Amino acid sequence: MIYVKLTVPWLLDIAGAAVLSWGLASGVGHVATQAPLLAPAALILGGACLRAISAFALDRHAVAAAQANSRERRRGLWTSLLGSRLSKPLSIGESTTLALDHTMAIENRDVRFSPVRLNAVIGPLVVAAIVAPASWVAALIMLATLLPFVLGSILAGTAARRASERQLAALAALSGLFVDRLTHLPLIRHFGAEARISRQVRDATHEVANRTVSVLRAAFLSNAVLEFFSALSIALVAVYCGFSLLGLLPFRAPETLTLVPAFFVLAMAPEFYLPMRRLAAAYHEKQLGEAAETALEPLRDALPASPLPANALPPFSGLRVADLTLAFPGISVGPLDFSLSRHDLVALTGPTGSGKTSTLAAIAGQVAPISGQICDLVGAPLVSSQIAWAAQRPLLLTGTLGENLALAAPDAPREEILAVADRVDLGPMLARRGGLDMAIDHGGSGLSGGERRRIGLARAILSGRPLLLCDEPTADLDTASAAAIVALLRDLSRRRCILVATHDPAMTAAARQEIAL
Amino acid sequence: MNASASAPSDNPLAIAGLPRRRLLFASLCAGFATVAAIGLLGVSGWFLTGAALAGSAGAITVAAFNYLIPSALIRLMAIVRTLARYGERLLSHKVALESMADLRGSLFDKLAAQDSRKAADSSPGEAASRLIDDVAALEDLVIREPARHAALVSAAVGLVAASLAGLPALLFLLAALGLLPLLFGRISAALTRAPAQQAAEALGDLRSRYIDLAASRAEITAYGLAERAFGELEPLARKLDRARSALFRAEALQGGLMTVYGALAMAGLLLLAAAPAPIVALAMLATAAAVEAMGGFARSLLRRASLHAGLDRIAAIIALDPMLSPQESAPPAVLGIGHHDFPARSRIALTGPSGSGKTRVLLALAGMRASTVPLTVAGTPVDQCTARRLSAQFVLAPQDAPLLIGTVADNLRLARPGVSEVEMWAALEVVQLKDRIARSEHGLATPIGEAGGILSGGERKRLSLARALLANRPWLLLDEPTEGLDGQTEAALVTALSTWLAQSDTGLVLVSHRPAPLVLCDSRIDVRALS
Repeated sequence: MIYVKLTVPWLLDIAGAAVLSWGLASGVGHVATQAPLLAPAALILGGACLRAISAFALDRHAVAAAQANSRERRRGLWTSLLGSRLSKPLSIGESTTLALDHTMAIENRDVRFSPVRLNAVIGPLVVAAIVAPASWVAALIMLATLLPFVLGSILAGTAARRASERQLAALAALSGLFVDRLTHLPLIRHFGAEARISRQVRDATHEVANRTVSVLRAAFLSNAVLEFFSALSIALVAVYCGFSLLGLLPFRAPETLTLVPAFFVLAMAPEFYLPMRRLAAAYHEKQLGEAAETALEPLRDALPASPLPANALPPFSGLRVADLTLAFPGISVGPLDFSLSRHDLVALTGPTGSGKTSTLAAIAGQVAPISGQICDLVGAPLVSSQIAWAAQRPLLLTGTLGENLALAAPDAPREEILAVADRVDLGPMLARRGGLDMAIDHGGSGLSGGERRRIGLARAILSGRPLLLCDEPTADLDTASAAAIVALLRDLSRRRCILVATHDPAMTAAARQEIAL
Repeated sequence: MNASASAPSDNPLAIAGLPRRRLLFASLCAGFATVAAIGLLGVSGWFLTGAALAGSAGAITVAAFNYLIPSALIRLMAIVRTLARYGERLLSHKVALESMADLRGSLFDKLAAQDSRKAADSSPGEAASRLIDDVAALEDLVIREPARHAALVSAAVGLVAASLAGLPALLFLLAALGLLPLLFGRISAALTRAPAQQAAEALGDLRSRYIDLAASRAEITAYGLAERAFGELEPLARKLDRARSALFRAEALQGGLMTVYGALAMAGLLLLAAAPAPIVALAMLATAAAVEAMGGFARSLLRRASLHAGLDRIAAIIALDPMLSPQESAPPAVLGIGHHDFPARSRIALTGPSGSGKTRVLLALAGMRASTVPLTVAGTPVDQCTARRLSAQFVLAPQDAPLLIGTVADNLRLARPGVSEVEMWAALEVVQLKDRIARSEHGLATPIGEAGGILSGGERKRLSLARALLANRPWLLLDEPTEGLDGQTEAALVTALSTWLAQSDTGLVLVSHRPAPLVLCDSRIDVRALS
């Protein structure tokens, strides 16, 4: 559909080029015959205006189509990045790159490369067809250079593409190294290793630079093939037309040429290869767009989490984790074996990066483990509507505080929300800031870390789910607030099954059992 | 307009530390390519028109018409254009890539030479990736530099061709080319400034909101709130779409205007030319090429202006204090914590509840953060000690055990220059990792880091400890060294550490909430009593 919409502007563009070329040719003809020049000048301008209009129309169609695609893609991609089971945990940075930068790269490709590709197919043929009435031999010359050009660019282009794909990967790795070393500068300084690491960074960048140059040699060769044939077709057309006009062709003239048609043919000659040159200019966008598509590919299989209706569930009997093993880049956990009874409090401990959060996520069914079993004590698999999650930095959506507290239980009556808010000690804050109707913006509306943490806990309690997973409930809190949260969790564990990932010795001390990663 | 006259911070070559002559050959190639491109069309038009006139004038004129030189010239131009363009591309990329590799190295040196206590950056990772983008943008500018020179050559060639068509034609083209960057700058500013700003703002809003939501992924997934989250993002994305669409439209409009401007120049030249038809043909075709090249020049000026902020960031790093200072080594010093003085080889445990600042004391001694409690090294307050002097005394195994992307050996080698494999294995034995690494397929070359690390959290922690042991400094600072270990490994590690400390005459400052490592220490200090 989009191709039909784009064909018209492309034809208009070539028509504009033809009018402009005819204006040039007749201008030169009129100078030779000393005829008035206003009409050719008007043709030149008119042709240019047609081209300008076509450029504008092309842009409108291409942008509209690309953005419609983006909207479609965003819905699926963002909802699965933010709310489905993934094959491996994504850092926030990775998730953001996938969600924003990669969709933008694909959109840029759709705006800049995709429309030109259509033109590259129809453009040369239409130009040859327009040139043919003026000189069918010139049209044939153009088409004849196209064959070796296509062969040459397939040969040079394939090698260049492979090389440049490898190169993109090497560059990304180099950027990764550079970012890693800069991030760890305090450590590097502490070990007095600045000069050694600097040498390493220099060596790596120089090596990539040298490799890039040899890759580019191949890439530019395919460009040179394009340049050569485009120049060759102009030169051949010029020489053929010139000798034909002089009557000096070494063979019997197949057609009779005069100045104006001959000049028209020459002026149109660059148009023949123009679509391919436009294509080459947008090649970078194509590459980035395709790389982005490849990176997004694995997410297509991501399944949105679909909670079962609560009444279909067997009563929750406890949590059993058997032989659980996780292996993701940079994280390796397990095998883990432990179980929690129906009302329990257990701490999962380990240093940063040891996989505490990933273990919680695996239990919640948000990332896929390598092996192992997660079930309740009678061996039935857990379903997501049994599991509540209290985050280190709880989600706040635009709306009222009441809505935010009841995100997991939108139908909860107001009294119940108030009761739970009281239970997690949000009462004083509610009284101070206008109750449940207090407006929340995404910046957090000046809530403290402890208050946010309590909102997350209140939400989890309101959800009525029997298993509560808490990610670092006391991190970054002052001693008093941390102690209050610990007391609250201990109290809650008399009616719920709570698994806490924590760093905090006080939190660990309050737990019935510690599971160290 | 004139790059050499502007301030150094506007000149990308100056910022890159790239002498102009290194781009000389690339610029020459670009110039040749441009002249050949204009020449190919111009000479073709001239030859063709001349041939037509001669052909219609009869056999004698044809015999007198010199067709050998122009037709040879046309073929020559076709070849020169191809070769020169290839040379320009290759040389400009080569120079740009090499100079950027140098620049990355020297930027790294500048940043590395800063003091961690003063250069504390809230988000070093983000700053670093921005730096990558800035250097990439600068690289792009360097690559385009020869094309800028060629644009001026192209304008000059166009003017020479126009001068053949008479003074009015020459003056007209001169005015047209001179006005172009000015007009283009105005129009482009009017068309793009507002949408560009809106797009940047919308993208910033969208990004920060997305980051917020991505941080809450676990909750969104657990409670099935993905559609709600999408609902929060979509209006911001629509805003970005609108701004980007306005930007694309402005770009198309500018392209269209440039085409019309080129046509105006050709039409004007046609009307003003006072010359025979072949010369008019040559002048018109050369004019088209010259206007197009000047359009490219004007765009490159705008491009530079839009990269201003990035170039300034690079220039600011280059302007930082120079030079890495060499590593010092010093005899073991007396460590003062509060009112207590500890001779070398003391073993001190810092106690106090979590959040009381124990880790901060270790970071201050390691020269990574400013101190919050009174600390002295050989009688000098730590805040007055240079980072070098501190790192000659103390080595820290931090709580979060940061490891570099690379291999096990890369990380151990960080400790000091010239660590041998024998020493690495010895240190790994102390931290109870020897068997684990020896069993692994790649041994010391076992990869660490984002892509393909196989060590668990506890193992990474012990690797960081081994690295600290290898540094051979008078004082070892340990932050929760056995966190996450099972009892058996912990006991083995503590025993091995005790032996190692005695054999290497090393002092210890320990923070541990677990009781086992505390047996290493002979004195305890409560951090709360210090401040």
